[in-house]
Amino acid sequence: MRIHWRQTLMSYTFLAPALLLLAVFTFYPLLYGAYLGFTEYTGARFAQGLGPKWVGLDNFRTLADDPLFHTALWNSVRYLLVVPVLQLASLAVAVLVNRELPGMTWFRAAYYVPVVTSVSLAAVMFEWIFNREGVLNWMLITLHLSTPQQATGYLNSRTWAFFAVMLVTFWRGFGYYMVLYLAGLQTIPRELDEAAVLDGASPWQRFWRVTVPLMRPTILLCTLLSTIAALRVLEEVLVLTNGGPLNSTYTALMYVYAKAFQGFDFNYGLASAAGLVVAVVALVISAANFRLIRGDTEGA
Amino acid sequence: MKRTLTALTIALGLSATTAAQAQTTVTFWTWYLSPKFDGYIKDTIAAFEKANPGIKVNWADKQDSMVQDFIASVNLGNAPDVVNLNIDETQKAAQNGFLRAASDLSGPAALNATYYPQSLKNFTSSGKVYAYPWYGWLNEGVLLYNPDLFKKAGLTRAPRTTTELLNDAKIIKDKTGAYAWVPALKDPNTASFLGYFYAEGLPIYGEGGKAAFNSPAHAALLARFVDLYKTGYVPEDAVRREAFQLATELYAQNRVAMIVGGPQALTRIKDTNPGLYASTVVTSAPLGKAGVQTGGSMALVIPTASKNPAAAAKLAAFFTSNAAQLAFAKVVPVVPTTLGAQRSTQFRTTSNDPVAKATALVGASGRYINPGYRAPGNSDDLYKNFNDNIEAALLGTKSAQQALTDAANYWNANMKK
Repeated sequence: MRIHWRQTLMSYTFLAPALLLLAVFTFYPLLYGAYLGFTEYTGARFAQGLGPKWVGLDNFRTLADDPLFHTALWNSVRYLLVVPVLQLASLAVAVLVNRELPGMTWFRAAYYVPVVTSVSLAAVMFEWIFNREGVLNWMLITLHLSTPQQATGYLNSRTWAFFAVMLVTFWRGFGYYMVLYLAGLQTIPRELDEAAVLDGASPWQRFWRVTVPLMRPTILLCTLLSTIAALRVLEEVLVLTNGGPLNSTYTALMYVYAKAFQGFDFNYGLASAAGLVVAVVALVISAANFRLIRGDTEGA
Repeated sequence: MKRTLTALTIALGLSATTAAQAQTTVTFWTWYLSPKFDGYIKDTIAAFEKANPGIKVNWADKQDSMVQDFIASVNLGNAPDVVNLNIDETQKAAQNGFLRAASDLSGPAALNATYYPQSLKNFTSSGKVYAYPWYGWLNEGVLLYNPDLFKKAGLTRAPRTTTELLNDAKIIKDKTGAYAWVPALKDPNTASFLGYFYAEGLPIYGEGGKAAFNSPAHAALLARFVDLYKTGYVPEDAVRREAFQLATELYAQNRVAMIVGGPQALTRIKDTNPGLYASTVVTSAPLGKAGVQTGGSMALVIPTASKNPAAAAKLAAFFTSNAAQLAFAKVVPVVPTTLGAQRSTQFRTTSNDPVAKATALVGASGRYINPGYRAPGNSDDLYKNFNDNIEAALLGTKSAQQALTDAANYWNANMKK
């Protein structure tokens, strides 16, 4: 009994630093942020040294009445379209680069480069690509898929700007998920694949019947990370389109950022309420992901 | 002997402590001035410290995160003492109670004796001056043009009025393929199109401070720009990017014939295309029907949370004094906001160098610096709405009249006094 008590104490002692850090940097800001969502806390109150004032659901009513927030939230949800494409592509490429072929190490590194490229550098590069006189239009015209008259400035187009920014998110995230999938693939015992080969399974059958089921925990993790990242996309939108044209790329996190950090008119209360709404959407979608992917794993 | 030495040591120690206590350290934040102007800032600080032995200056240059850092420092209880803000941010900070009034610290008489009345007016909120006006610029200070593109377009002189400028836009594009100029349609974090209304003598606010920029005359002016945009006479990136940046970039590539702005554009062109810089012609900028300029200015403000407001006021006054501003104008072509600048011989030199010529044209024009509109209360939301409406007109989802009426209605419903 005495040993058990001491062991428990020791376990908590080891856990304490991590728990303390989590409490300070994760749980407290989370709870305080949630609390602020129900308060009035503006630049004017802040400057006078006044704390937040409880206003109940007022901020949520403001959000419900604000067409800009509706557009922003809808754009964030639409942005989730990037998730399946990103996951399928990074899984497929991870499978390709998981082979022991010459030059594969170089490919793995090359795919990872966008992950460590700064967003401002990426923005300059994609400006060159998406401009009316840019690389993309030049390629389309050279390949006779378009004419100079049809050339579009993709970042200025209401139809294309959203997908153009999404492509940048895809480009930046692709290498990160590819590396995670690669790590997952390398934990799959080779014997299973070899047994499938002996059973006469085609590469396609081996991929769907052996690789994908065994990769489900990694797929779940990557899908969740990617979903949350897509819902809180900010940097690429900010530097490439600043939410335009006509707010077609204005996301929920841009709304939160604008309300919380722009100028001296800031409104922490409203920004926190908007952040809470985004968090709830992320939770619901993540729960659905869990149910869909983990449920299948359990059934498999 | 030993006792005497001990007493002497204690006395010296005490006097050193007293001297240290008498020393005040003032924290000074500038905005986007380092590293290019480190030499000037450090020299001016050294001169100030020499003139004020009891004050030590701790300088830091802030860039993108200036406003956020300012707010965070107030929250953490270590606010800076002197902060460099522009007109708009000063107005917002004053409206929200972040600043001490300069007119309370230095007295209105001292301010009136040093700065142009309009410069003080730019930083006045609820009857008090909230800043020490610093260097400024004129949006229509000078016009720079590419003589080769002008020749190709068959133009013999630069436009002198906004109407001429708008007409030349079509001629230049049709004959050369280059854009005539890049208008400031919707620069981020402000409502730059309002400046065009001011330049044409059209009011921004009406009775009781209500937004009044939606008359048929306002709409007709916006419609002219919409027409130019829709027919391809204005770069389409002008709705997404800051006009000054886009203009300097395209001018250096021979894709824009004119830049309407301050001499600061020339320093960039000098770096990127020295050949074009040498041939660039500098002349007076076209003006609207009102015959006025628009422009902006930086200032030094004292936060309410400053722990050393008296010393801070001394530093702000020193940095924005006539002598210090004239010295700054020698380093970079800025426009001083001090009354004394009008009498300075510094701006009366003749030169063929474009920067020197432009500096001579605008250097003593600080009295004209006026953004053309006062930041409304709740301006971040209001500017966003205004720019969204301008964009809607340019992209054809609203008529010019509808866009301005929607913006004015939004302003009047959401403006905080």
